[in-house]
Amino acid sequence: MSRTGDSRALDVARLWCVTRKELRDLLRDRKSIFWGLFAVALSGPLVLGIIYFGAGAINDRVEHLTAPIVNARFAPDLVRHMERNAISVDIDPPDYEARIKSGALDAVLVIDVGFSEALASGRPARITLVTESSRERSAPIAASLRAAVLSWAQQIGRERLVLRGVAPALADPITMEEFDLATPSQRGSRMLQIMGFYALFAGLMGAIAAALDVTAGERERQTLEPLLATPVTTLELSLGKWAAVSAVNLLAVTVSLLGFVLALHLVPLDRIGLPFSFGWREYGGFMAVLTPFSLMVPAVLLAFGAAGKTAKEAQSSLQVGVSLLGLLPLMSFLRQTQAPWWDVWVPVNGQFAVLNRVLRAEPIAWHDWIAMAVVPLVIAALSLVVLRYRLGSERLLAGR
Amino acid sequence: MIETIDLCKSFATDSKKPLFARRPLSPGIRAVDHVSFVAADGEITGLLGPNGAGKTTTLRMLATMLSPDAGSATIDGRDIQTERAQVRQHLGVLSDAKGLYWRLTARENIVYFGQLHGMSREDAAQRADMLLDELGLQPIAHRATQGFSQGERMKVAIARALVHDPQTVLLDEPTNGLDIMATRHMRESIRGLKRKGKCVLFSSHIMQEVAALCDRVVIINRGRVAFNGTPAEALAATGLATLEDAFVRLIGTDEGLMA
Repeated sequence: MSRTGDSRALDVARLWCVTRKELRDLLRDRKSIFWGLFAVALSGPLVLGIIYFGAGAINDRVEHLTAPIVNARFAPDLVRHMERNAISVDIDPPDYEARIKSGALDAVLVIDVGFSEALASGRPARITLVTESSRERSAPIAASLRAAVLSWAQQIGRERLVLRGVAPALADPITMEEFDLATPSQRGSRMLQIMGFYALFAGLMGAIAAALDVTAGERERQTLEPLLATPVTTLELSLGKWAAVSAVNLLAVTVSLLGFVLALHLVPLDRIGLPFSFGWREYGGFMAVLTPFSLMVPAVLLAFGAAGKTAKEAQSSLQVGVSLLGLLPLMSFLRQTQAPWWDVWVPVNGQFAVLNRVLRAEPIAWHDWIAMAVVPLVIAALSLVVLRYRLGSERLLAGR
Repeated sequence: MIETIDLCKSFATDSKKPLFARRPLSPGIRAVDHVSFVAADGEITGLLGPNGAGKTTTLRMLATMLSPDAGSATIDGRDIQTERAQVRQHLGVLSDAKGLYWRLTARENIVYFGQLHGMSREDAAQRADMLLDELGLQPIAHRATQGFSQGERMKVAIARALVHDPQTVLLDEPTNGLDIMATRHMRESIRGLKRKGKCVLFSSHIMQEVAALCDRVVIINRGRVAFNGTPAEALAATGLATLEDAFVRLIGTDEGLMA
């Protein structure tokens, strides 16, 4: 495979001409641009809305708790205890096992038939908490019911000790206190880890349509061959296309993050116990991480998009690039151990990690910032070398 | 002026080569096999041959898009391998692929290529307007090319190839898919280039076209030059009355003519 050689590889005027034409061409595709930017800009507020209403619903269910109790007649005191604690009681719910399985009920307390006798004679009396542990949304309800029962049990225990003239404190030899080092904003950001995902997603989605258009589209429209017959060099073409797609991508990222800032002004996350802020400081941090990232993604996608002989092949190759970039942050999402030092040097994954630190208002070391700048730019440069090589490849013409 | 000497180009045929083979196992097919000819300024030279004869490959090598395996060629004394940038600068190419940018207007398509040839935006725009006038495209000059007819697209592609006023023009099947009126118009444009002293090399598999236009004919068959001379010489060499019969005789088969 030989290459169409270039005598003078880079003419700035011609590079600018290619960039301007690609940008104009891309921005005229109003439908794609509109849907691309619109979808990206809207998805921020949408994510927030889902979090807001999701968290609100959990709070609601825990605050207005109902305790379904089977065989409640054996434990009238428990029912009274519940009601005193503003928990309404649903006595003997029918068919409760099936309803727990189906999700209609989150958790049910089942009183043992011999409960009142055991309680009266001082033997441990049994209550079974029936729940479905694989269903995440039932967990807070089950935990509240357990806490309610245990507080009642503790109350009874203490009363017994007092009746026998023993100080209740003797039965509590150790007090365990929890001291959480997480600041309120960090606790909020745990819930909003999804935000980092979302921002990277915007930096990826903004480039896909444009990258597809300037690579596979160039073949589909059969414009590459006439182009290669002009004095324009493959280096100028590669850089010009990259600059244009990057500009569109940066626009998408900027718009989407601005959408997020605006949405957070409107949605009172702190009211539902999510003291999460995404103000101008976070915006700046995100842009600092995402700007090099938004330059890298188009280069990678273009290099993949220029592969293959037909538009179809180019398209499927580009999808490989998209999945590669999209799946990397799963690494840190799924990891249970502490991140190794090289974590931030893994592309996409590293961006995800640093974005989360920005959200948690943690200090970010200077070498992490270097990783944020160097890794994407090196990958972009390598991808551009591949892109240039592919654009100059004779196979591209032979296989049309 | 175009001079080619023993141009050769092969392509790999076995697309299913073993995964780890570094190069194709068979040497492939010889698309162009020792092709030599000269196309002079102020003349129209026709590259005639059945489908798959090697016309497009020859033109692509002259346009410096493919590198020859062997042989050499010069355009106005500039070597197509060592002086590619200069060759491209002075060459107008209507390639096999004639796509336009759909979302750009006809004028923008033409101006873009002018700028790629190093023209200033003003010069390119001025020249584009002149060509748009000449080709009767002015009424649709500011429309996006998406909805253009085949003939309109071809005209824009021609204007794009000529925007920098090249001395040498390569046209790959310029009348393909055009109706009669558009074909007549295209022929007139090609004659106009000749009158301006340009060197025009165009490929075709249509006999009437070559007969109507060409000063010289280079007949290519299976990558080799089967005949090189004037249409009259072709008739004389075969002793036949029509160019079509002469063509069939010269390539030794009527295969490919049906296309």
